[in-house]
Amino acid sequence: MSATFLGYPRHNGSIGVRNWVAVISIMDNCNPVTRAICAAVEGTIPITTLFVRGQYGRDLEITYDSLGGMGANPNIASVLLIGLEEMTTEEVARRIRPTGKKIEVINLQPDGTINAVANGTRKAMRLAIEASGIRRMSCPASSLVIGVECGGSDTTSGLSCNPAIGRMADRLVDDGGTIIISETSEFFGAEHIFAARAINDKVRKEFVDKVVGFEQDAMKMGLDIRGTNPTPDNIRGGLTTIEEKALGAMAKAGTRPLVGVLDYGQPPERKGMHFMATPAPAVESMTAFAAGGCQLIFFGTGVGNPIGNMVSPTVKVSGNVNTLRSMPENIDVDVSELIEKGAKVTEVGDRLYNYTMEVASGTRTTSEVLDIRETAISRFGPTI
Amino acid sequence: MPRALVLNEKDNVATLIDAGKSGDACALQGESRGSITLLGDVPFGHKVCIRDTSAGQEILKYGTVIGKASAAIKAGAHVHVHNVESVRGRGDQSRS
Repeated sequence: MSATFLGYPRHNGSIGVRNWVAVISIMDNCNPVTRAICAAVEGTIPITTLFVRGQYGRDLEITYDSLGGMGANPNIASVLLIGLEEMTTEEVARRIRPTGKKIEVINLQPDGTINAVANGTRKAMRLAIEASGIRRMSCPASSLVIGVECGGSDTTSGLSCNPAIGRMADRLVDDGGTIIISETSEFFGAEHIFAARAINDKVRKEFVDKVVGFEQDAMKMGLDIRGTNPTPDNIRGGLTTIEEKALGAMAKAGTRPLVGVLDYGQPPERKGMHFMATPAPAVESMTAFAAGGCQLIFFGTGVGNPIGNMVSPTVKVSGNVNTLRSMPENIDVDVSELIEKGAKVTEVGDRLYNYTMEVASGTRTTSEVLDIRETAISRFGPTI
Repeated sequence: MPRALVLNEKDNVATLIDAGKSGDACALQGESRGSITLLGDVPFGHKVCIRDTSAGQEILKYGTVIGKASAAIKAGAHVHVHNVESVRGRGDQSRS
């Protein structure tokens, strides 16, 4: 039987696992007002941004799409946009409008900061009260889109947290849901292994083009970022081939076919396992997941990386006993039994899948409760 | 007794999660059970062969090929760069 969870129904048929009012900065110069409003109104989350002003071309499109995508994310009940002037604000508003959710707007020009904070607080308060009237209802797991990420990896990652997350990913795909794996550079040199999982030649080519293209972009800067793989310390640590190294990271995407390839922050159009081209740093990669509509993120860590996403609650999973002992406040699920007690990946992964439904139904994550959350939209070119 | 983790039932290698010495009986965990006698020292995080493997045969970890044996490998032997070679290829030449 397929899994279910208690989620918030949205106008466009999507399902939220949280019910926040998003206060979104349209430019970096709006962030102080966004933060002041969120500090005043419970039930809101601040989505801040750097740059925008002075960005152009592809970077500007990515920024607008990402801000709009986070506003459109099913975890968001309604949005309050904080802009400098009307035209730029409308660029983000029109990207959220198709979801049918309520959009309020405050622009800093011409009334200034104090009025913007006061008027924005009034609007956010009303939106938060309205949102609190939405009730959770039973929803199929197939409505979930989950991003899988890893950071602070070590030799335990490929043995414990990543395979356990992979089993969770397989279970979700089997139940009709969607998984997205990202971090393009982690595939360098072993893209053929993942490419072999593509459902057809078109998807295979799209995936390989993304990996090779990312590599070429890096090379153009005059840097060889690959080095020799596996590196001498990888070999000393027991990694024999590049295939083995990449599989440790890829293990978190499970074993099901690759059905689609996405650009930074692009929402998937079908169910199943997807690849999204993003830079590897966790905050940027997870911001792209949130913009692409992921309601949850699963994050495998070895030596420990505490950061979570603002919009998509982030479940930290570790199998490293030392990390579990030294930074317990940053780990949501302990899978060290895989290493320490010889537990089976299938059994631990199945328990992780059950926990997925708990978090989707409202159980909070460490990064939510401690507010260890950050947003950073990737920037590929200069500003002028 | 050092422990070694088997990640998929198809795998012919297990990863040691304790350092092992030659002659140690190594306990298998995860997707397999039983024990295997180490034919040589195997450091923490390195792999041991759990089924006799002939030269040219695929080495499986995560149920996936991570390389092929460049020499015959006996069950209990250390599996690493001295007896395994990468079959890494380019995605644009990958099998369909």
